[in-house]
Amino acid sequence: MSVAVSMEPAEFRLVIPSQTRYLNLVTGLAKRASLVAGLDDATSAKVSIAVDEAVTNVILHAYHGEGEHSVELELRFTEEALEIHILHSGQGLRGDQIVLPDPKEYIKHPRKGGLGLLLMSRFMDEVRFKADEASGRNECCLIKKLD
Amino acid sequence: MADLSIAMRQAGDVAILLPAGFINAHTVREFEAALEGLVRDGQYTILLNCRDLHYISSAGLGAIMGLIETVRDHQGDILLSDLQPNVFTIFDTLGFTQLYRVFGDEDQALAAVAPERKG
Repeated sequence: MSVAVSMEPAEFRLVIPSQTRYLNLVTGLAKRASLVAGLDDATSAKVSIAVDEAVTNVILHAYHGEGEHSVELELRFTEEALEIHILHSGQGLRGDQIVLPDPKEYIKHPRKGGLGLLLMSRFMDEVRFKADEASGRNECCLIKKLD
Repeated sequence: MADLSIAMRQAGDVAILLPAGFINAHTVREFEAALEGLVRDGQYTILLNCRDLHYISSAGLGAIMGLIETVRDHQGDILLSDLQPNVFTIFDTLGFTQLYRVFGDEDQALAAVAPERKG
């Protein structure tokens, strides 16, 4: 018996409480999803790190470590890319507020923090932030192309 | 399996830390506490044997960064060995392989610091 595989874009969602104990679950999912999308093992590991950093930012900064909120992950599989959208109702971040640290300066003046966004931008093809003031929903979109 | 477990042993005056599992924002306090405990006890040369470390996020990198100046101020260092490819990529992507001495295995790391410790 053969099973027809739809090539239509597919997507699904996972909602987790805003607690760091679920990070390992989320990064495991991101890695598996990347493999399903056709990315190789090393690239899938990079995607999982980027997702870890994005979800950690939401939990610790957007929600200030409060564990009673929700973080929604939407995974979209298209022919061109794997898109991972991370949605929340916490404090938003716009693209023009992002300042990436310069790695060379960072090494000269080591300090804690500031590296998560840099890892996200290095490991993904696109990182976008959107804030919807009307709905109060905010989004971080991570895109990895499949070429 | 726990997300992170940390074993420790001593080789002369080098403290060897063996984190196993995942260092992320959830487990980083445990990792940080282990490092800080060594420094508090006057252990300023610390080797992180990462053979069983599957993953480290920026939270874990921050914990190492937070102590590097302290140990170097005391003529010590934080060394890395046995990095799995994924973990090496994270360090290398951020340029940390220029900041830390990275060795293929524990013996190489200990051999490199032995003359320094004698001197």
